Amino acid sequence: MGDGKASATVAEAGFEALALPHLARLYRLAVRLTGRGADAEDLVHETYMKGLAAFASLREPERIGGWLSTILARLVVDRHRGSDREVPVGDLVELDRFSLYDLIWDEDPLPYSDALHRDFLAQFPDEEVRAALLALPDAYRVPLVLLYVEDMTYRELAEALQCPVGTIMSRLHRARKILERALWDCAKRRGFVRKETS
Amino acid sequence: MNALTCSEAVTRFFGYLDRALAGEPLEELEAHLAACLDCCDKLAFSRQLDAFTKARLPDSPVPASLEARVRQALAAAKET
Repeated sequence: MGDGKASATVAEAGFEALALPHLARLYRLAVRLTGRGADAEDLVHETYMKGLAAFASLREPERIGGWLSTILARLVVDRHRGSDREVPVGDLVELDRFSLYDLIWDEDPLPYSDALHRDFLAQFPDEEVRAALLALPDAYRVPLVLLYVEDMTYRELAEALQCPVGTIMSRLHRARKILERALWDCAKRRGFVRKETS
Repeated sequence: MNALTCSEAVTRFFGYLDRALAGEPLEELEAHLAACLDCCDKLAFSRQLDAFTKARLPDSPVPASLEARVRQALAAAKET
């Protein structure tokens, strides 16, 4: 019994040595997923506690970085599962067909530009883009942020978020379409384009 | 191998950008892009929009107190 406690202590010491070097990266991931520093601190804290409890199940300790990222991402998804953060995204067929590229081309809001689409994007203050990102429902934002930050494959995302690869594909597609639509709505609000356009 | 229409090609853009396309779907898209300047422009915009969004993800320096908080919690968990 004494030996069991001693080996648990050794494992815990090993966890600290392997896991703590990932703290700064996990915090930045948490900020990118939540947008709020206090929430990010709580998430990182919770991630380490869950990680410690499950450390014995980690078969490849050299992969602890990705393993901890997955724990953190699942906490974000689980935290809001079934809550009102799952906001509806409207008509999916219409959303899937939405094309910011085509709308910019049709509306031509910068007639003297020789790089219309690039110059259109340059109009947006950073905080508007961040607000649009954070307004994405978790089911869409989490895989997109993991793709951008952790450079995960679709298969890795599917394993991390415990859903089929097809679901990951459609969520990544729709996350980007929702962002395109949000930028267009923002352009209308700010008067970059006429309000009556779709 | 089938020739893609523009609307079929567009549905593969994100998979292409995410390096998730392989085999025939990839070959079909690349063949379409080689012949369609309009789809090349659209794909370039999707790539540009990804980079634009990625560069604007929220960021914040790590609070100095966080490591101590986590270490304390781990130490407390060991004692229980």
